[in-house]
Amino acid sequence: MKDKLGKLCDQMRQKELRIPVDLTVGVVFFLVGLAVMLLMPSQVAISERDVVNGRAFPELLMTLMMICCAALVAKEIVKLVRKQPLEYKTVNLLVEVKALIILAILVITYILCRTTDLFVVGAVFCALAFLIYFRCKKPLYYVITVGLAVGIWAAFRFLLNVRF
Amino acid sequence: MLQHIVPASGLLFTLQNILWINIGVFIGAVFAAIPGLTVILCVILFLPVTYSMSAIPGMMFLLGIYCAGGYGGSVSAILINTPGTPHAAATMLDGHPLSKMGRTKAALKIALYASTFGGIFSALALLFLGPQVAKLAAQLGTAECFMVCVFGLTIIAGVSGKSMVRGIIAACLGLLISCIGSDPMTSYDRFTFGINRLYLGLDLAVCLIGLFALVEIVSRAEQKPGELHMDTAKMHDNGVITKDEYKRLARPTILGSLIGVMVGIIPGTGASEASWFSYSQAKNMSRHKEEFGKGSVEGIAAAESANNAVTGATLIPLLTLGIPGDGTVAIMLSALMINGLNPGLSLFTTQGDIMYAIMLGLILVNLFMLIQGKLLTPIFAKVVSIPQEILTPIIVIFCFAGAYSVNKNYFDVGVALVFCVLAWVLRKLDMPPVPILLGLVLGKMTETNFRRALLISDGSPKIFFSSVYCWIFIGLIVLAVGTILRGKLKDRKAAAAKEET
Amino acid sequence: MKKRRICLCLAVVMAFCLMTGTVGLAAGETWTVTCPWAPDGVASLVSQKAASLSTEYSEDITLVAEAIKGDAATVNTWVLDNEADDPSLVFVGEGLLSITATMDPAKMQFGYEDFEFVENLYSSVFVLSADAKLEIENVEDLQAYVAEADQITVATNGATGSEAFLAAALFGSMDAGDALKLVPYQSAAEAAQAVTRGETDFAVSHQSQILEAYNQEGVTVVCAFDEGPIENGPFAGVEGVGEYGYPFFRNRCFIMARAGTDEAKVAELKALYDEILADEEVVDWLHDTMLLEVDTMEVEDVEDHVANVKDIVEQYIDIVQPE
Repeated sequence: MKDKLGKLCDQMRQKELRIPVDLTVGVVFFLVGLAVMLLMPSQVAISERDVVNGRAFPELLMTLMMICCAALVAKEIVKLVRKQPLEYKTVNLLVEVKALIILAILVITYILCRTTDLFVVGAVFCALAFLIYFRCKKPLYYVITVGLAVGIWAAFRFLLNVRF
Repeated sequence: MLQHIVPASGLLFTLQNILWINIGVFIGAVFAAIPGLTVILCVILFLPVTYSMSAIPGMMFLLGIYCAGGYGGSVSAILINTPGTPHAAATMLDGHPLSKMGRTKAALKIALYASTFGGIFSALALLFLGPQVAKLAAQLGTAECFMVCVFGLTIIAGVSGKSMVRGIIAACLGLLISCIGSDPMTSYDRFTFGINRLYLGLDLAVCLIGLFALVEIVSRAEQKPGELHMDTAKMHDNGVITKDEYKRLARPTILGSLIGVMVGIIPGTGASEASWFSYSQAKNMSRHKEEFGKGSVEGIAAAESANNAVTGATLIPLLTLGIPGDGTVAIMLSALMINGLNPGLSLFTTQGDIMYAIMLGLILVNLFMLIQGKLLTPIFAKVVSIPQEILTPIIVIFCFAGAYSVNKNYFDVGVALVFCVLAWVLRKLDMPPVPILLGLVLGKMTETNFRRALLISDGSPKIFFSSVYCWIFIGLIVLAVGTILRGKLKDRKAAAAKEET
Repeated sequence: MKKRRICLCLAVVMAFCLMTGTVGLAAGETWTVTCPWAPDGVASLVSQKAASLSTEYSEDITLVAEAIKGDAATVNTWVLDNEADDPSLVFVGEGLLSITATMDPAKMQFGYEDFEFVENLYSSVFVLSADAKLEIENVEDLQAYVAEADQITVATNGATGSEAFLAAALFGSMDAGDALKLVPYQSAAEAAQAVTRGETDFAVSHQSQILEAYNQEGVTVVCAFDEGPIENGPFAGVEGVGEYGYPFFRNRCFIMARAGTDEAKVAELKALYDEILADEEVVDWLHDTMLLEVDTMEVEDVEDHVANVKDIVEQYIDIVQPE
């Protein structure tokens, strides 16, 4: 089991994805700007009598954002035409999977807190999950971390009067 | 004034007051040093304690929290690259790199000294120039406030990292996010997608938890198992600040203190704005620009002196005009009012001794902050050697508890998680998170003042050129933009010269 | 090193004692009083004052005040989380029951029927202040000014709050609704400052919020939004708009229990609040510092107040929020 996991990790560590940063940023945020512009009429009500209405500022921002995105994309296309190197960012699959696991721990902690309405449940889960994630084998660390998790909850609950 | 100083000193220098100052300073420093727990939250939680006290000890306790909170936020920014409070984000840019260089104690000391200097500077401004400065600040109207915001937005150039265009895109995103919620000018909802709680807008502290603290946790994925523990051999940190460094600290500290006082007196602005203004100006004026963002001692001093200089300055409009300079001070106003004191210039005549005792107390608070800070620095510095297995979940728990405590609702914890995901995606795209934070800090203020100014002038932009103050700010904006362009041209020339060689 | 450790231990012990003190040793049943507005606001402050005195007047009930800003959102959560007989109280005012209920009912997942009225915490009479340069001292001066003015600018706290509706009702009933321009500010203090520096002609605010500007002679206080003249405090004698037949309402803060709560318990809570609000120290503090009035009420008075404000909102909504 341990070997299999190790092998899988090694395989993932080898897999890398190269992202052309400026091109991706340009395209992604241009689309974000466009989406916001399209959503504007349904999301921001205005009155005819407003001197400057509630859409003006977000529209201004999105226009500026889209101009910047267009400039980034144009710059990258020029580079491609001139066969100049683009700026790349390397994304490692193993790192992203690990990030997803950490994110999952955070989300589960949140769900546990919310559904049980007992913060301490989520806090203890979070403590244990991270210790397991870091493959901690020291029992003392488990005792300390879980103790601190309960202690923090108790401090908020009973000393600061935050009811959760 | 002099006739009040002696009786005020008598009221101030009691064992009870000194004890409350120290308790406040200790709680403020520790609370703000914990990611997710902000100074305003701390003041809210401890405010009821003051209701059974008289005005002076109550205010001393709250001022202790307020001032030490200004310094405490820098502790986690330096140690774990997570600002404890929004105004410590600028400190993080250089504090953490300096700590990573093995100079944790030095970074903490610089933050403490700069904070103390800024705090005392503003306390003196409050004591000697309070009423005059307040009258000047009261003249700053909507158009002038908008100009301050535009000036603030020029900072984006300085914190955009490698690409200014990407920085502008990030800032636009931050400014857009600040639009979420009820439109302050019409009360119509904006971008709430039918989610009830969103009409309140997003709390800056909650966004900060996601953008900086939780994403730092997710970034543990980038660490290799060997990096989990601090290499103690690298920690040959004796906390010494060299003579040359002290010399370099003088200018940004004084500049930061001045900026902090100026920003603090304008109602609606606060320590976050001040620290960024100061950081940006210190960078522009420094002979060691290249060190900024990589552990510059000047960067830490500029940010910390400014955010603590705000503490005294926000009290100027509060004590003289009854207008709270920022949210935390607004809550402190309660401690005065519950004791039957309605702040304003008239109170200087009727209750002059109490008012001067409070102002003198602010100096005392800063001195005790220095003493406690010196005692706590070695203990704080040990945080970096706590094993990651223990530290990581503890930070998460504090972040979640802090996000929940803001509005006592799990919705905010969810918002923090969303911001964490956003920050992670942006990190993958090499997008700087600081311009987003700046957008969030300045967004609502910029838009509201812009629209209100045009509403007052019936849509005429002449209002932005209608006073001497507007022209002063226009001058500052032109100067800032000029400095940025000059810097960019220099960089380009240097890069071209490098390519040629 | 030793000294440092001793200092640290002392500090920790002090902080712990203090934090323990915040919890207090509550005797009898503890009732949490949730204020859905800012912790530095008037309602929260009065609530804290009342809570701090609760143990003096009752051995059975201890009030614990908390402020969770969020307005309708906070009350929504409170209604969802609490059932009849739960030891929890919440504040609502005409802002929620009359203004939000008319303008944006979708924001409210509750109605008046979800509550059991306990007591009114205070009454606040709003005042209209004018830029001192305009030299408007009373309602007659105001009428003369309005008759001549092409545009009237009024600073208010928020775009659709009580202040905005009071301004709309006053100038609307003077047939100057079209000339009225409401300029919303982020806080009452900002609105008061705006009129002081002449950014707007008028401001509507609580009395305490304009007091300092008035003391500095930056503004004149023209009239009060009440039936008759103000009786106490620095603005005593200022005319009420009601004397001239203009619409008005006071700002009130209703303490509510969850609907269905035992009547005897509600009566006990009401009696406790009545005792606290009759305390001379509280009355003086409300009058002199907060410039508020003790104004205990019955259920019928509350219903009348809500209906009156609703009428005003419906009549002047087009001025405050034009289509």
